[in-house]
Amino acid sequence: MEFGSIDELEGALRDADYLPERGLSTALYLALVLSKPVLLEGEAGVGKTEAAKALATVLGARLIRLQCYEGLDVAHAVYEWNYPRQLLHIRAAQEGTVREEELFGPEYLIRRPLLEAIDSDEPVVLLIDEIDRADEEFEAFLLEVLSDFQITIPELGTISARRRPAVILTSNRTRELHDALKRRALFHWIGHPSLEREIEIVRIRVPGIPERLASEAAAFVRELRGLDLSKPPGVAETIDWGMALNALGRKELDAEVVRQTLGSVLKYREDIETVQDETLSRLVGEARAASAAR
Amino acid sequence: MAAGDAIVGHVVTFGRVLHEAGLEVGPGRVADALRALDSVDLARQEDVFFSLRQTLVSRRDELDLFDRAFSAWFLRAPVLPPVRTRHASETVTRVGESPSERLRSQGDEEDADGDPLELGASGHELLREKDFAELTGDELRHVRTLIAQIAQMRPQRLSRRRAADSRGTSLDVRRMIRRSLRTGGDPVDRPLRARKDVPRKLVVLCDVSGSMDSYARALLLFLHAVVGTGRGVEAFAFGTRLSRLTPELATRDPDAALDRCTEAVVDWGSGTRIGASLREFNEVYGKRALSRGAIVLIVSDGWEREDPELVGREMAKLARAAYAVVWVNPLKGNPQYQPLAGGMRAALPYVDRFLPGHNLRSLEELAAVLAGIERRHAA
Repeated sequence: MEFGSIDELEGALRDADYLPERGLSTALYLALVLSKPVLLEGEAGVGKTEAAKALATVLGARLIRLQCYEGLDVAHAVYEWNYPRQLLHIRAAQEGTVREEELFGPEYLIRRPLLEAIDSDEPVVLLIDEIDRADEEFEAFLLEVLSDFQITIPELGTISARRRPAVILTSNRTRELHDALKRRALFHWIGHPSLEREIEIVRIRVPGIPERLASEAAAFVRELRGLDLSKPPGVAETIDWGMALNALGRKELDAEVVRQTLGSVLKYREDIETVQDETLSRLVGEARAASAAR
Repeated sequence: MAAGDAIVGHVVTFGRVLHEAGLEVGPGRVADALRALDSVDLARQEDVFFSLRQTLVSRRDELDLFDRAFSAWFLRAPVLPPVRTRHASETVTRVGESPSERLRSQGDEEDADGDPLELGASGHELLREKDFAELTGDELRHVRTLIAQIAQMRPQRLSRRRAADSRGTSLDVRRMIRRSLRTGGDPVDRPLRARKDVPRKLVVLCDVSGSMDSYARALLLFLHAVVGTGRGVEAFAFGTRLSRLTPELATRDPDAALDRCTEAVVDWGSGTRIGASLREFNEVYGKRALSRGAIVLIVSDGWEREDPELVGREMAKLARAAYAVVWVNPLKGNPQYQPLAGGMRAALPYVDRFLPGHNLRSLEELAAVLAGIERRHAA
């Protein structure tokens, strides 16, 4: 799928139930046109990972995801040899008849996400999730892969991408990334969406939710973000909460139902304690007022 | 395209404006920006804005600067271009008596004196014991090299990556298979691998309020040396508010680094709001998990101008995320010292190691503690 303008891409993303703000559409569009990776940063739960999924959908591409963590290494990110199979093969063959080359051939190779993405004939969106959690050594390696789009396996030689995957990197900024990596990528900061957009997102993701409920829930979450919380809720939490409220058959928000369901919005005990009693009633009042004022 | 040249000129100049305002905008980025503008509708201001921002900026803390520059340059809004505002703020810091100024004037005196102080072994000893508050400019310069050596000791953690090691504990299967070929598939030889040690994250929060002034220079030198030991070190200064100093301290030359720090810290020599500063840290950086698994080193005398209870609350949060919390208090160098200051008392329950930091010897002790620190057993 090719897109001739930002508007076209934005329209397709909307059809795939993903509502990007203009900045994000621009970033994704430029990533495709300039064939550069995009680095998406933002608070947890603002839809960074979702953006990659939606892009894969509209491109008709396969989404390959590499989840980063401390200690992630080549064996888990790129490839690994299938040792048990190799051993069995040596055992099964007659002594002295196995050559090293056949043992380290493609059939004994376990392909991990990066190799999959480079060595693919179909279009691919490569999501490198939470790159800030990987070690710096891995980041340097990744930089190499993203500059040449090729991977060298000593036993097999160099494998180059026949078509470049669209690459999306996400970071929660637990540490600053290398400048070299940042220079190579387009950078976009995703903030919390506007009230209008968040209501729209909830209504799309929670089918059948009454408009008033969606609007009051989104407004309440917005109020929560204004408080001093350890983990302010993201859009993902608003959607979860909308589902819970809708499942309870609610038409609107009141202090009682908020108290019962607060656990799907706030995930820390201290945060839930902060939002009790008067605070909770006050916020419900303000959210309803904000929602009514739309 | 006909309008092309004008746009190229515009973007190149804008790139230069950003560069002067402190953003790193190289020719590669400008080229990307031009390619981006080539593929969007130039009549849509929003698209032009994002295209430029996504190609020219790569850090969140630069977004604000970019936004101001963009409105000044492209929209001709009635705001000062960021270059000027920056100069203006610099002038403001220089009007007040900033430590950098004091340092600089001391540097001049040193030059007038001629040769830097030569110290024998006994001189070293004396210097090691001397309180930082009593150091002269010359001595401080000498202390600098010693501090750099001390800072080399960094706490380690085990990496998940494994390297060949004959005393290792896990099997290097790839190598074993290769070798077993010679023995008909029997793994006679068993090569081993082990995890490597890598430096553990270190976060330093240094009090630069008025009461800490006489120690701040030496401690900043220490910070500079620690930041110089590699990545994974984050440094902050606080008085009434928090300033991140990591980029400023990354300069190789200690004098230049100290100058840049004093420019970056707006509240040098002010009062202390430890609780509020810790809260700012927890909120902005703790949420980014900067402190998770890190050793957090707080350097402060514990004089809290405001509510000590807030100090306790924020220390609790910090301690929960951190691997260990070390508090360095220069006043502890005095044998008669009792932690009576409210902020200090509130913080102590969450502190794993409480150390003095008033002279070189105590910094050595600190470095040894940092290198060998164990995770606390009970919170």
